[in-house]
Amino acid sequence: MSTIENVKTGLTEKFGGDITNVDTQIGSRLYIDIKKERIREITEDLVSQGARYLVGVGYDSIDRDNTLGMVHNFAFDRDGFMVCVKTSVPADNPVMDSITPDIWGAGWSEREYMDLLGMKFEGHPKPKRLVLADDWPEGIYPLRKEVPHDLVPPAAEDVAYQIDECPEGTTVVPVGPFHTCLHEPEHFAVYVDGETIKGCDYRGFMTHRGIEKLCTTQVSYNEVPFIAERICGICGTVHATCYSQAVEIAADLKISRRAEYIRTIMLEIERLHSHLLWLGVAGHLIGFDTVFMHSWRVRENIMWLSERITGNRKTYGMVVIGGVRRDITPDIEADILKVMDIVEKEMVTIHGSIAGDTAIHKRTKGVGYISKEDTIKWNLVGPVARARGVDIDSRRDFPYAAYDDMKFDVPVLDSCDVWATVVVRILEIFEAIKIIRQALKGMPDDGPILTEMDEIIKPMIHSISVVEAPRGESVHYVITGEENRADRWRVRAPTYPNLQGVPQMLLNDQFADFPIILGSIDPCFSCTDRVQVINMKSGAMTVMNRNELEQMSRKS
Amino acid sequence: MWLTSKIKQIAMALRPGVVTLRYPFEPHPVPENFRGAPHWDHHKCVGCGACANHCSSRCILVRDLCQEIRVMLYDGSRCTYCGRCAEVCPEDAITMTDRFELATGQKEDITETLELFMLTCQRCGRCFDMENTNMLDRLDLRGYRYDSLETRSFIRKTTDQFDKEIFDKTVKYERPDKLGD
Amino acid sequence: MEIVYVFINIVVFLALAPLFDGIIRKLTARVQSRQGPPVIQPYFDLLKLLGKENINSADNRAFKLAPVMALASIISVISFVPLGYKATCLTGYADIITVIYLLTLGGVSILLGALSSKNTYAMIGASREMVTMVMVEPVLAMTFILGAVKVRSLGIDATMFSIAGNGYGWSVGLMLIVYLLALQAFVAKQPFDIAEAEIEILEGPFIEYSGPGYGLFKYYMMLKQMFYASLFVIVFMPFLSSGFYLVDLVIQLAEIAVVFAFIALVGSTNPRLRIDQAVKYYSVLIVLAICAVGLSAYGI
Repeated sequence: MSTIENVKTGLTEKFGGDITNVDTQIGSRLYIDIKKERIREITEDLVSQGARYLVGVGYDSIDRDNTLGMVHNFAFDRDGFMVCVKTSVPADNPVMDSITPDIWGAGWSEREYMDLLGMKFEGHPKPKRLVLADDWPEGIYPLRKEVPHDLVPPAAEDVAYQIDECPEGTTVVPVGPFHTCLHEPEHFAVYVDGETIKGCDYRGFMTHRGIEKLCTTQVSYNEVPFIAERICGICGTVHATCYSQAVEIAADLKISRRAEYIRTIMLEIERLHSHLLWLGVAGHLIGFDTVFMHSWRVRENIMWLSERITGNRKTYGMVVIGGVRRDITPDIEADILKVMDIVEKEMVTIHGSIAGDTAIHKRTKGVGYISKEDTIKWNLVGPVARARGVDIDSRRDFPYAAYDDMKFDVPVLDSCDVWATVVVRILEIFEAIKIIRQALKGMPDDGPILTEMDEIIKPMIHSISVVEAPRGESVHYVITGEENRADRWRVRAPTYPNLQGVPQMLLNDQFADFPIILGSIDPCFSCTDRVQVINMKSGAMTVMNRNELEQMSRKS
Repeated sequence: MWLTSKIKQIAMALRPGVVTLRYPFEPHPVPENFRGAPHWDHHKCVGCGACANHCSSRCILVRDLCQEIRVMLYDGSRCTYCGRCAEVCPEDAITMTDRFELATGQKEDITETLELFMLTCQRCGRCFDMENTNMLDRLDLRGYRYDSLETRSFIRKTTDQFDKEIFDKTVKYERPDKLGD
Repeated sequence: MEIVYVFINIVVFLALAPLFDGIIRKLTARVQSRQGPPVIQPYFDLLKLLGKENINSADNRAFKLAPVMALASIISVISFVPLGYKATCLTGYADIITVIYLLTLGGVSILLGALSSKNTYAMIGASREMVTMVMVEPVLAMTFILGAVKVRSLGIDATMFSIAGNGYGWSVGLMLIVYLLALQAFVAKQPFDIAEAEIEILEGPFIEYSGPGYGLFKYYMMLKQMFYASLFVIVFMPFLSSGFYLVDLVIQLAEIAVVFAFIALVGSTNPRLRIDQAVKYYSVLIVLAICAVGLSAYGI
């Protein structure tokens, strides 16, 4: 058990003069500025104290002090606080040590900034292009402020993905960019030996849309939640809430308790929607269309309910900075309770009919094995981690919105396979219904649902917020800026770390298990690939690109 | 047990029956509070431009043809039906209707244009009064606004005088293809 | 007179196979609580496919030949089938070995089509199809051999009618169960549509086919389904024969519809198995089938 004070004193003692600044924020965020030479030691030290790596955030600070900044964020789950380690490198020589050899989960964060900011990380085991296309010209780093948001460099001819060589004795089966088991385009080069998978390489980020760049140059603070909602087809409210919370922390804005309760209800409704959708997709991926049809039939009730509350079946548009836009009146409350009863009854039926089905067990038990230690090493999150015995849940560890008032269980299993993820998600459906009922019963009436803010938000304040999306934990890092817009916004969706663990899960399984293993992490590639800029209309100065790849609408 | 699971799976369909809707052969009503296409009531609109300022997709455009006539154009092709315009309108002139069947091949079907006669102030010659509501206080609309209605594009900055150069640049805007443009 | 039976067989099968496939689709949809396509939808599908441009994406003759070969093989088998308990004029010219050979030829033509399309996914699908064929054809052969052992002849009508003609014994009962358990594999439906319709995992051996080639393959699959169902009805359900050809025909078609309903229900309530799991299942079935044949050799 450590507290934020202990960690602070421990680190300042150990690293002494190299730490240039220490800040705490709202009692659970610790910001430490340290010189770049000691970054590896301090991160190792934090991990040895039990911290979990969240995400790395790079930002462009060239116009202020000619440096590029990098922040590595860690979470202490059992103790409920986060530590953000900030360093900076000079812009003309942006070289720093890579922490990936010790912390595997940082691999993609660092590769991303190699592409987008031009930073170089020494010692990175796989410094290949991650985000930008292979024909993007060298020297143009999109996230730097000098690059306009709608730059379109000329395309190159004959450029292919740089996939790893396949190991001895295997052949490559290309899965993607278009494949019937994938819902968004991405490329997996699967190395198979007969029918057994021996390895996999991933090239993704094909739905990279430039949202972070767009929202820090073209859009103001309160328009961002509408775009954040469209990052992903399913976790819309999650992103909008996480961003709004981060800005509220930075701006020191307290919203009313009623708004927090309404946000909680919307988040749980979204969780219900997502898990029901996933159940259908998982059924479809193992060839069992009946489960697919039935769970989506139940999902229709949730979509009708969302339309009743928010005006739209999926893009709710409810959450803005300062609260929510619509209230929950008593007849809406009655409708919510009715739908909850229907969904609960149907879920009990569905659960009863598939729990004992040995045919489904054959396809999902023992499949997609990854041990608990590897799960922790790769920093997997969400039901994927909870199915392997790792007990993390942001709703309980870093309470936000109204979760500190709610009583709920976090299902954790330890059979380390796909079947466990199915059971975890089904149990979470029942927990979500429980939370919604509690929230409706205890909803206070203490203030306006939208708290207006009269002063300008102070610039250059860092803040970080986490929200438990249905897929795992979603992290937003915001640096406030001038001109009523954020200076930097980093979205880390839960699929980002989970995808890094997929090659491990695929090892030594049959090729026919590839879709269900991939499906078990509930991949939301649109959430993962958000950063680069792509414009659609010519002639217009400010154009947004919306998330067009919606499944189920996605899967759906 | 395997067999009982199978029987339960077949029986699962008996209670709901067939849930396929007859849509589009029958209409499908939407719940109240649905956010469909917005509609402007030209009797109530005062031409304040609050909706144009708040639109997240920049699809409400304002153009002053002369001091007395202001044209507001709503271009539904980029509208996301977020409802911010309806929320912010001080005169409640915008309602989010329940129309959602908006696919069309003609742009005019999803465009609403209002031409408003603006009364002028006798002292300063300008139009709206800013004391009444907060929304208008927060507008940065000053002077003339000349969004390009022809190319349906929004002009980010307004100046106090009409600047033909900026206007021409909007019409001929091309995306840069290398740095330094 | 018996030459008419050949034509009636072929016409009945060609006309009704899509209808029975439509029944499967409709019943599957109802189990999934949705409306489903109209029962005659497969006719529309076939007509549409046959009217499209024939793209020879693999640019070799084997690719063009494969669907035609598959359809030809199944139609030849159909002309031997003693539907309505009346042997056709061609039934005497072939025996059960020919039937098994022609059915295998159909499978081989799928392999031919898949391997000539030079596509990775088709090759994976072809290897799975090969494994399935190797493991499942013996069960069919055992069904025939059961009858052959009883009457000591290899003639088609003799073996088929004799299997259950003198009442059920243990061997016939066991064979019936084995056949039903293997029926899903014969007709390539869930849980055993591993090779053919693996839409999620691979596109299977038909990936490069489109238009008329694909339509012919689809027709082949539908005819194969109907053949296996009719085989079950002729061999294992002979008790409703009335002696009149047309009445028997109608009764058999009704029974075939019931078998199709069974296929639909099992197919819609099962996920797809992996090939290694399916192989284990098939080997158990082969052992049981051999036991049934052994039992019948002892007259049980």
